[in-house]
Amino acid sequence: MSELFPKAATYGLAGCHTCGKVSPVALGHCPRCGSHLHLRKSNSIQRTVALMIAAATLYIPANLLPIMTVVELGDVTENTIVGGMITFWKSGAYPIAIVIFTASILIPLLKIVALTWLCLAATGKLHPSPSMLGRVYWFTELMGRWSMVDIFVVGILVALVQLGNYMTITPGPGALAFAGVVVITMFAAMSFEPRLLWDRLAMLDDTPSPSNPSDL
Amino acid sequence: MHPWPKPPGGPHYSVCHFCDTLHDATALPEGKAARCKCCGAVLYQNRPASLARANAFSISALILMVVVHSFPFLVMDAAGIRTSLNLASAAKALIHEGSPMLGIALAFFTIVTPLVLAGGLVYVCAPLLIGKKAPGAMIVAKWMNKTEPWNMIEVFLLGVLVSLLKLSKVADVHFGIGFWAFGALMLCMAAAVAGIDRDELWDRLEVAKR
Repeated sequence: MSELFPKAATYGLAGCHTCGKVSPVALGHCPRCGSHLHLRKSNSIQRTVALMIAAATLYIPANLLPIMTVVELGDVTENTIVGGMITFWKSGAYPIAIVIFTASILIPLLKIVALTWLCLAATGKLHPSPSMLGRVYWFTELMGRWSMVDIFVVGILVALVQLGNYMTITPGPGALAFAGVVVITMFAAMSFEPRLLWDRLAMLDDTPSPSNPSDL
Repeated sequence: MHPWPKPPGGPHYSVCHFCDTLHDATALPEGKAARCKCCGAVLYQNRPASLARANAFSISALILMVVVHSFPFLVMDAAGIRTSLNLASAAKALIHEGSPMLGIALAFFTIVTPLVLAGGLVYVCAPLLIGKKAPGAMIVAKWMNKTEPWNMIEVFLLGVLVSLLKLSKVADVHFGIGFWAFGALMLCMAAAVAGIDRDELWDRLEVAKR
C-alpha cells in the first residue's frame, strides 16, 4: 500500500496548511507564505478531546437556560431552544420545527459523537472503513456553522421586537452558552488531524512498515 | 487547456490534506479537478476564467454589501409601531440588551468576515489580472484563509426566514430590499470564494512576486 500511495511524511515533506505548497518539513516555515510547517497538527487528539469536553459541558446550560425572554403585556415567558421547537411543532409549522431540531439539537450532538468516534479511530480503538471516516469528517467540517441559526434568530427578534409595554424580547444566558458550543465544536473540528486516521490504517495494513510517519 | 502559470523550479507536488498522499501536481484543463488517488478528496482544481470570476463576483459582493447596510431586511408593523431591521441593528440590539459578546460575534460572522473575504479577494486578485502582486497580498491571502470558515451569511439568511415565521403570528412582517440584496450577496460570496482555487491563487502570487 505504501508503494502505491506514497505518503508525504515518509519523505519528510509537508503540505502547507495555508497555501498548499509542499516543502521539506526541516525548513520549519513555508518558503512561500511563512506559515509554520508540520507533518501533523501538534497534540491534535488532546486538543480535540479537550475542546469537545468543554462543548459537551456547555451544551447542558445551553439547553436548560432560556435563550430569550419575552415580555408580553407584563407576562414574562422564558424560551429555551427545545421549547421554541415544540411551539413550532404544535402550531403545525413542521418544516421549520425540523430545521430548528436539526440545526440546534441534532448537529451539535452528532458533531460531538462524530468527533469522539474519529478520535477513537485515530488512536486505534476502533477500526471503521476509510470511506466512512471521510464522510464523517466532511460532515463535522461543513455542518457546524448551521447551528448558529438560533443565535441569529435571537438577534433578529431582539432587534425587531422592542414595542415598549406591548412586547419586548431580551437575550437570555442560554444563547451565549449555545453560541459557545457552536464556536468550540468548530475549533474542535479544525484541530482534528484527519491524517492520523490514515497513519493508523497504514500501520494496520503493512506491519513491517519502512518508516512510521507518526514517529517523525 | 489553460493551466495557470507554475512558479519556476520544481518538481511540483501536491499533498492530500485528508490522507497525506503525495502526488505530482500536473497541469489541468479548465473546469477539471484533480482528485487524490488514495481517498478521492479534491486536491486542486482549475476553475474556468478564475481571476476574472473571482474579481467580478467579489466586486459585486462589495457593492451588494453597501445595499444590504443601507436598506432594511425586515419591516414589522405591530401595535401601531413600525420597526425595521438591518444587519447592523441586530448586532447593536444584542449589545444594548445585555449580551455584548453575542452582538460582537454576530457582527463578526455576518459583517466582518464577508467584508474581509470579498475585499481581500479584490485586493489580491485585481492586480494579478495584470500579473502584479499588491503590497502585503500574501498576508491578506493568509487572513482570507483564516476567516473563510467563519463566514455565516447563508446561516443568517436562514435565521431571517425562521424569525419571519415566528413573528408572522403576532405582527405584520414583510421583506425589505435588504433581504433580497442579502440573498444575492450570499450567492456572489459563494461564487467568488469558489471562483479561484487556493493552489492557483498562491501559485499566481508566487509567480507575480518574481
